[in-house]
Order: sequence, then C-alpha cells, then structure tokens
Amino acid sequence: MSAADLAALAPILILALGSAAVLLTGAWWPRCAPLLWGGAAIALAAAFTAALYSPPTLEIAGFFRSDGYGRFFTVLWSAVAALTLMTSLRYAEERHFEGGEYAALILFGAAGMALLSASVSFVGLFLGLEAFTLVLYILIAFHREDPLGAEAGLKYLVMGAVATGFLAFGIALLYTASGTFRIAEAMTALGAGAEMRPVAMAGMAMFLTAVGFKVSLVPFHLWTPDVYQGAPAPVAGLLSTGSKGAVFAALVTMWGGLEVGRDLLEPLLWALSAITMLVGTFCALRQENLKRLLAYSSVVHMGYVLIGLLAGGADGNGAVVFYLVAYTVVNLGAFGIIASFSREGGEPQNFEDFRGLGYRHPLRCGTMAVFLFSLAGVPPTAGFIGKFGIFYAAVGSGYILLALLGVLASLVSLYYYLRVIIVMFMSDIAAFPLHRGTFSEKAAVGLCLLATLWLGVLPGALLDLITRIL
Amino acid sequence: MIVPMSHILAISATMFLMGFACVLAQRNLIMVLIGVEIMLNAVGLTLVGASALWEQVDGQIFVIFLMAMTSAEVSISLALVVYLNRRKHTLEADAFSEMKG
Repeated sequence: MSAADLAALAPILILALGSAAVLLTGAWWPRCAPLLWGGAAIALAAAFTAALYSPPTLEIAGFFRSDGYGRFFTVLWSAVAALTLMTSLRYAEERHFEGGEYAALILFGAAGMALLSASVSFVGLFLGLEAFTLVLYILIAFHREDPLGAEAGLKYLVMGAVATGFLAFGIALLYTASGTFRIAEAMTALGAGAEMRPVAMAGMAMFLTAVGFKVSLVPFHLWTPDVYQGAPAPVAGLLSTGSKGAVFAALVTMWGGLEVGRDLLEPLLWALSAITMLVGTFCALRQENLKRLLAYSSVVHMGYVLIGLLAGGADGNGAVVFYLVAYTVVNLGAFGIIASFSREGGEPQNFEDFRGLGYRHPLRCGTMAVFLFSLAGVPPTAGFIGKFGIFYAAVGSGYILLALLGVLASLVSLYYYLRVIIVMFMSDIAAFPLHRGTFSEKAAVGLCLLATLWLGVLPGALLDLITRIL
Repeated sequence: MIVPMSHILAISATMFLMGFACVLAQRNLIMVLIGVEIMLNAVGLTLVGASALWEQVDGQIFVIFLMAMTSAEVSISLALVVYLNRRKHTLEADAFSEMKG
C-alpha cells in the first residue's frame, strides 16, 4: 500500500481512528454528551475531507474506488453518522448509554458503509459489509433495560449471521469459478461459454440471497419489522438508511459492470422487485405501530430502488443514487422525530400514542407529515423527484409493467401514510404530551426537512453532481 | 492439484448445508451459533481449494480475513447470548418472541 493509497483512504482513516480515539477517551472520561458531540465532529471532519480533498489515485489497492462515486457515498454516510449522533444525544443520556462506546460504534459503522459503497472487489465488499453488520448487532441491543431491544438484537444476529454465511459462500463459489475477487472480472464466469458456469450461477444465487437479507427484499424481509420496533429509534434510522443504501451503492457498481449474465439475473431481479413491492404494501396496510409501518415502507422502497437498478444505464443508476439520498434524509428525519418525542419510559410507537398529537406539538408533527408525504412521493418533496426518476428510467428501458406496479404501490402507500397524518391531526387530543425535544434533535430534524424540500424543489444541483460521478 | 476441485466443492457444500440445517433445526442459541460457524468453515475450505486451483494466494488471504471476522462475530454473539441468558434464564430461541413477527 503506497502513500497515495493512504491519502485516498484519509476519510475512512479519520472515521476509524476517530472511532478508536472516542472509545479510549470514553474509557477514561465517561461523559455522554461531549463524547457524542466529539463523534459528530469527527464524522463531519471525515465528510469534509472526502468532499474537498481529491485523492491522487482512483482506486485503493484494487479494493475500493476513491473516485467521485466513492467519495460521494463517504460524504453521505459520514453525514448520516453525524446526524444520528445528534439525534441520539438526549436519548443516550437518559438511558445511561456508554457515550464512548456508542459514538465509536456509529463512527465505525459509517466507515464500513463508506467502504462497502466504494468496493470494486469482493474482499472489500465483504469486509465493508461485515464491519457495519457487526456494529449493528451491538447497537440494536444497546439499551440493556429494554426487553424488546434484546429480542431485536437476537433476531438480527441470527438472520445476519446466516446471511454472512451465504454471502461468504457465494463469494467463494464465484472465486472458484473465475479465479479473481475483482467484481467486474469475476462476473465473466457467468458467461454462456464459461467453464464453471453452474458454480458461478450457484454463487450468484447465494450472493443475491444474502443481499436480499441485508436490504430486506421479500421473501427475506421477515426480520425487518421486529428489529425496527425493538431497536433504539436513532439506531433504527441508521439501520434503515445507511445499511441498505450502502449495499445498493455497491450493487450499482456491480450491475453497471455486468456484461454477461445480465439476461440470467434480469428475470430474477424483476420477480424480486415485483413481489417486494406487493407484499411490503399489503403488510404495511395493517400496521398499528409507526416503527413497524416505517419498516414495511422501507421494504417497499427497496423494491422501487431495485426497479431503478434493473433499468440501469446513466438514467437508471442516477435515479438509484438520487433515490438513496432522498430516502436517507427522509427516513433519518422520521426516526429523529420519534427519538425527539421519546421520554425516559420509552418511545411513542403505537398510533394511539400519536392521537391528536398534532395539536400539542404542531411543528414536529407537521415535519413528520412532510416526511410521510415524501415517502409516499407527493410533490414538492424529494420522494417525488426520486420516484419520478426511477419510473422514468424504467419506462425508458422497457420495464413498463414494473413501473406500473410501482405507481400502483405508491398510490396505495398514500393510504397508510395518510392514516398516520389523520391520527396526528384529525382526532381529539388523547395522547399524553411527549418530550419537548432539545436543540440538537431539532437541528438534525430541521436539516433533514430542509434537504427534503430542497431536493424536491431544486433537485438540479444534486442531479448534475450524480451525472458527473457516475 | 491432487484432489479435484469437484470433490472439494462437494465436501464444502455438504458442510455448508449441514451447518444451515443446524441453524434451522436447533432451538438452542449456542447450537445455532455453532451451525453458523460450520457454514463459515465450509466457506474457508472452498476458498483454500480454489486458491490451490488457480495457484494464487488471494483465496488464502481472504480466509485469514474471514477468520478474523468470524472471531469478532463469535465474541459479539456470545456476549449477546450471555446477556440474553441473564434476562430470561434460558437459551431457547422460542423464549424470545414477544413481538409479532
């Protein structure tokens, strides 16, 4: 590894070494809030380094991209880590979390997500994915007094460990068939004349199974609602945005470099996308818990992103990246609001807890309504532009039926998102007053709101940026 | 290579399926984790075999990464198991099903 490689790794090194520094500081100086602020500052430093410093090499040791694409996602996931830490400040203090450990884990998770998004080799992909999966095992069960947290941690652990096995075996089989870990070259083993094509096909199937688990595609989505419900709200935000977006960012690189075998995978991904949208939508309809609703909504959204991935080309890939950004800011904001309402006794989750809450906390409930409209894809929000891009790319590439299914799923989704808004604003006040929220929580949620509206009204700047980095 | 790759693949696939069956069939958390370990060891075997097949060290290096990752995973999962055992005084997976899943 040369000096140029190290320089290109600078943002990741800031995250990883900063994580170690925060962990050690926390051991000697156990103060929650300053450590979390420190963690947020380190994440922002990494984001600025990635955004402003243009590294001398475009690839790090054949493992990771350090071009615009890799840097873009490093900035995004570092910012997600910073916002997560900001929304966790009071949450962590009231529940007596170890501040050093919590901040260190989130920073390390962001490093893993950034590495996964930038990977061009299966080794890098595996290590990046595992880096943040291991972090999430701990974070989901971080609240030791919460019985649901323990159960959620267990479910994610068992599912995640099996998915890791499938991922590793899939990679091993692809390596057996192709003799290389570089993703683009390994994929040639899927070609029609390749010597060990069946082995490569089995490997690809196992790889897709593991990916299905990680981004919760139907039929591998069963863990999602339980884990979201049991995890602390800020961690659920990180889980639903970073851990899924990073996998899709790596898939965009992979799918874009796929020259052979596309005909093989296309029907499979088509079916996965369709069934994910259908099942996710139907399950979301009968939820009475906001966190579970957001879990099923994330299942449906992963189905939409899969359409964009299938469509491919500059249009499809650009739409996927834009959608990931839009989905990330909206979901982070929604879980941030749940965290800001939380009291020492617990978080408001059931619809009952939100009945008429719009009259007690109009600002935050209004913001929540904007986020829900964005998830449903109503203009002028980021979600609308994201969905428009995906469906436009799908129609352009001939996936008209999938686009139609997506539009129908969006229409139905309006029903279950509106239900939450109706509960909040159109019923008598029944809910108990919740926490008033602190400055850091409101600032983080406000930033997400600003980004949602800005991307919805003036998406041009981000779209230009995405066209340049792809 | 003295041993044909197909034999290595057959053994490792059998091991992998046995590990997976262990995960699905066992209700005790420790046994579930052992099943996952067997799955990952099957992966290691495949990688070493493929490494010999292609006469490269890449596969063997990946095995070392895999072992490091596995030990981290085991330490986290055993910590979680100890914590769950303290909560409910049982290691049966079915005891942890309060949420409708």
